[in-house]
Amino acid sequence: MHPAGLAAAAGTPRLPSKRRIPVSQPGMADPHQLFDDTSSAQSRGYGAQRAPGDLSYPAASATPQAAFLADPVSNMAMAYGSSLAAQGKELVDKNIDRFIPVTKLKYYFAVDTMYVGRKLGLLFFPYLHQDWEVQYQQDTPVAPRFDVNAPDLYIPAMAFITYVLVAGLALGTQDRFSPDLLGLQASSALAWLTLEVLAILLSLYLVTVNTDLTTIDLVAFLGYKYVGMIGGVLMGLLFGKIGYYLVLGWCCVSIFVFMIRTLRLKILAEAAAEGVPVREARNQLRMYLTMAVAAAQPLLMYWLTFHLVR
Amino acid sequence: LGIHFDHIWQKTLTVLNPMKPADGSIMNETDLTGPILFCVALGATLLLAGKVQFGYVYGLSAIGCLVIHALLNLMSSSGVSYGCVASVLGYCLLPMVILSGCAMFFSLQGTFGIVSSLVIIGWCSLSASKIFISALDMEGQQLLVAYPCALLYGLFALLTIF
Repeated sequence: MHPAGLAAAAGTPRLPSKRRIPVSQPGMADPHQLFDDTSSAQSRGYGAQRAPGDLSYPAASATPQAAFLADPVSNMAMAYGSSLAAQGKELVDKNIDRFIPVTKLKYYFAVDTMYVGRKLGLLFFPYLHQDWEVQYQQDTPVAPRFDVNAPDLYIPAMAFITYVLVAGLALGTQDRFSPDLLGLQASSALAWLTLEVLAILLSLYLVTVNTDLTTIDLVAFLGYKYVGMIGGVLMGLLFGKIGYYLVLGWCCVSIFVFMIRTLRLKILAEAAAEGVPVREARNQLRMYLTMAVAAAQPLLMYWLTFHLVR
Repeated sequence: LGIHFDHIWQKTLTVLNPMKPADGSIMNETDLTGPILFCVALGATLLLAGKVQFGYVYGLSAIGCLVIHALLNLMSSSGVSYGCVASVLGYCLLPMVILSGCAMFFSLQGTFGIVSSLVIIGWCSLSASKIFISALDMEGQQLLVAYPCALLYGLFALLTIF
């Protein structure tokens, strides 16, 4: 809404332009040079011209030159506003690209309803699925749309937002709700996620594992546990503690198996791909790492939800 | 002023009939007149029902628009501008205005109120996702787009009920 707001502000007379005079003063010594500046149509000189044009507006009906000025001034106002909006948009786009790799993220959001349905089924019941390998197409993994094993970011993102909302709902039913508590819940969950990602990246680095497990992949895998958490809390709201423990237990075991089977291929694949001479200790260390990551998921699932269900 | 009343009416009709497939070209010009009108109407009906919550309405709509804009940009092959997202979400707020209008006459906290708000949320999100799908040419993703819209309209419904 920001560019629209700025354009609207540029269109309203007097007040914004009066504040703008000191800012655009450096180039303009004499505000009465407005006739010369109109033809050059520079946005720098816009502020200085605008104010005298408006101050002389009450006399516009008397002087035809000032009346003629009213139209170009409003046109210039619109041009300035829209150019400011375009500049703002460019600035945002450039800076966003520096911090968030948008094209890489687009791969993780190329999902469709069938994929989401199958993946959710896999998260709750991973026991019958046989082939966990992601298919490749000329060195790049295929989009999640075409392969149910590929990680995506749609489910973790939606699950995270739903978890925050369901937590708000749960707190509301216990009469402990307030909007800042919602923000607190969201930021604490985000903090735990960041901590987890950093811890796993650190341990991967220490074990000197060469994997093609990117950070975004890791965030995606770690975000899948929120689905189980939502299920547990919803069951807890509907059926009390018994329902909560049952569903949470089931989801914990499922996530444990899911993580083991998925990470095994990612972390241990290199070892298997190297062929026969595999150092035993290194392989065992990787196995322990996978087990540790998978075991941390149920613990975090319980830790982040038990205070929501009374 | 650039306000075309027949365009506004056409878009409103598209929203009111969620089952009819939408035309992809209706969103070519983004106008914010209709959405702003519906937002103000929502605030007015909430006021008449005794809840002065303009700040929450505007804040929620701004944040929700931002999140859905980011999500749609990542999910669709062609990008979408912020004005277009705000326009579509604002138009699909119309059934929510109807709900809060009903809230003036009878309290929504009973079973009937909960059921009708669920129906209205579904209606809003189906229309919004239908317009987004046809305007951005995304296949097989209608439910995926409808889910975040349903979350957003659910928050609006919470404002209306409580």
